Amino acid sequence: MTTLHRRDFIKTAGLAFGSVLLFPSCLKQTGSYRFFTAEEALCVIALCEQIIPKDQSPGATDAGVIHYIDRQLSGVFQYDQETYRNGIKNLQNYCRIKSGKNFESLTAIEQIKVMKLMESTQIGEKDWSPGHPSDFFNLILSHTMQGFYGSPIHGGNKDFMSFEMLRIDYPLVIGQNRYRT
Amino acid sequence: MANKHVNAIVIGAGAGGGIVAKELAINGISVVLFERGEWPNYDEHPNDELISQRTEVLGSPFGPDHLRNPRVVTYKGGSKQIVTPIRGGYSNNAACVGSGTVSYGAMAWRFMEEDFKLKTTYGSVEGSTLDDWPISYEELEPYYEKAEWEIGVSGDDTQNPFAPPRKKKQPMPPFEYNQEAKVLYEASKRLGLHPFPIPMLRNSVPYNNRAGCIRNRTCCGFACPVDAKNGTQNTVIPIAIQSGNCELRTGSKVVEIMIDDQGKATGVKYFDQNDKPQIQTADLVVVSGAAIETARLLLNSKSKLFQNGAGNNFDWVGRNLMGHAYTGAYGLFDYDILDFSGPGATVAWCDFNHHNPGIIGGGLLANEFNRMPYLYTNIRPPQSARWGKGHKDFQRSMYHRTAQVVGPIQELPMFESRVTVDPEVKDFWSIPVASMSGERHHLDHEHCKFLSSKAESILKEAGAYQTWQSVGGQGGPSGGQHQNGTARMGNDKKTSVVNKFGQVHEIDNLFIADGSIMLNGGGFNPALTIMALGFWVGGHLAKNFSGTKFK
Repeated sequence: MTTLHRRDFIKTAGLAFGSVLLFPSCLKQTGSYRFFTAEEALCVIALCEQIIPKDQSPGATDAGVIHYIDRQLSGVFQYDQETYRNGIKNLQNYCRIKSGKNFESLTAIEQIKVMKLMESTQIGEKDWSPGHPSDFFNLILSHTMQGFYGSPIHGGNKDFMSFEMLRIDYPLVIGQNRYRT
Repeated sequence: MANKHVNAIVIGAGAGGGIVAKELAINGISVVLFERGEWPNYDEHPNDELISQRTEVLGSPFGPDHLRNPRVVTYKGGSKQIVTPIRGGYSNNAACVGSGTVSYGAMAWRFMEEDFKLKTTYGSVEGSTLDDWPISYEELEPYYEKAEWEIGVSGDDTQNPFAPPRKKKQPMPPFEYNQEAKVLYEASKRLGLHPFPIPMLRNSVPYNNRAGCIRNRTCCGFACPVDAKNGTQNTVIPIAIQSGNCELRTGSKVVEIMIDDQGKATGVKYFDQNDKPQIQTADLVVVSGAAIETARLLLNSKSKLFQNGAGNNFDWVGRNLMGHAYTGAYGLFDYDILDFSGPGATVAWCDFNHHNPGIIGGGLLANEFNRMPYLYTNIRPPQSARWGKGHKDFQRSMYHRTAQVVGPIQELPMFESRVTVDPEVKDFWSIPVASMSGERHHLDHEHCKFLSSKAESILKEAGAYQTWQSVGGQGGPSGGQHQNGTARMGNDKKTSVVNKFGQVHEIDNLFIADGSIMLNGGGFNPALTIMALGFWVGGHLAKNFSGTKFK
């Protein structure tokens, strides 16, 4: 029996399959998420975009808020995973029953209408279980704000977009305020 | 290998403990200074609001580790919740060398004479354990002066007609007003008030071989990148270490004070940097863990003569937990009133500390530290849109145009507002954790309404086109970064925990030097008072303790 050493294996595999062997996993990584399924992400992106919509300055989608939320849910915010999973499921069910469409497929006006119902808990228990729609709403509201206005190192606020909108110096130049007139 | 016996153990390298360690060490007393955290890292999170002492949603940059240090909060009605440093209600201060003095806003207030004698000034208040301190302002005054000169304060008290008497001026000139403060200064003058520059534990000019302040935008809640903010980590602790008599032991979690059957403290049990249980013996133990952890440590230190915890035979340990309800008002202006030079807070008023009819204590007012982008999303006039186009328009157009005047109210001590140890919840090292419970006194909210209305009147006079109040002081439990009161000083062992020198009643060689021993938190940020108490207790020990016993 011959022993195949790791180094030899990689060399051989590389010769035999080129980069194809290694590439698919990288490809799969692009555009996918740590926590959300692709379907869930569509719903979350739509919610975030209504919380901070694009106008003359970028909105939540441009700033990559989904990546902030996705990353934190697989780390610091692990305890919020259930609320998201159930919240998205409940929201989609509600929208499908009421209008035959997923949340992200509704018009902006319809989306805002549903979100106002969530915010004010006007969606009852029989249409939303487990959890309360306002709990999910308030959670994604604060996470969206964090992702949009927090530091880009956490996944959102791409290129300090919100700092530009707020007219704050970015990146922070230590001490520059001292020389202002 | 067993640790070498030392003269003194100081637990907690913050505002109180760092100073006590230095006072002992320079007087030839050998000290082990315990700190559960590590040296702070100055440039890890310089511009990261979400990991700062102002918004700890993603992490607590100055400790403690949020995965290992839970606490319990019991709300009105009895619902109990486990909290961590990155979730609301934890009352996180910090856990690092310097503790809160690394990242604080660094206001350097002396309490007023009345703050030391609330009962004499106002009489008894129903439902409150309010009382006079066993020491007066006059007695503490020289120690305030030491704190101002050794740690480093910029200010000019001569501009504050309500300032208590002092012998020596503050060592550095005051900071100049920023744009917001200039507008508020003029307006308040027209109202007959007495604005003056906020005293700060920051260098307005180079001091103590360190740089002057560079007006960094992110100051309060962050470590200073040029080390111009003065805490115990860059002043007294290095001096203590350089004396050769002080060993700083970081990453070491003290979990119990050992007390023998004669009622004498013999040392402490702790977990070292590798989480291994260790023992350190000493002739003297000083606790400086801040109001919540100090109370927890005393309660977890049970012995034959103190079966309910060290110094707790009369059930006063952990009682009277206070902090500061912040209260004030906002104003919207039709021009950019903010210039974002750091730290933002530069002007204050003491017109509402004491001698206002119907108000017990009161509080200072000041313009606020620079608003951070995420925190600003919660600053809105009533009935504003929380999200959507309305949110964004407001955020974009008003971020530079919102001024805020705010202050800490003197909270009234409450016997049932307290720290206990939870019978079930344990930390990473299997030690019962602190549990906070109880309500604020109903008058706190009334006092907050008073202070907020004054803040609003200044903003109106300054030309704000819209103003609104944010009124604090309801609910509980109290605590927060200004936590105090849980091991109060007193002459009677039946109604207090320590005597006027911070010495625990009935345990001669156990002392406390932090905010716990205060009888009330004043209407002021408490850091300078905690430092003064550190010098007071430390000075007493250095004078009266020789070798292994009291002189």
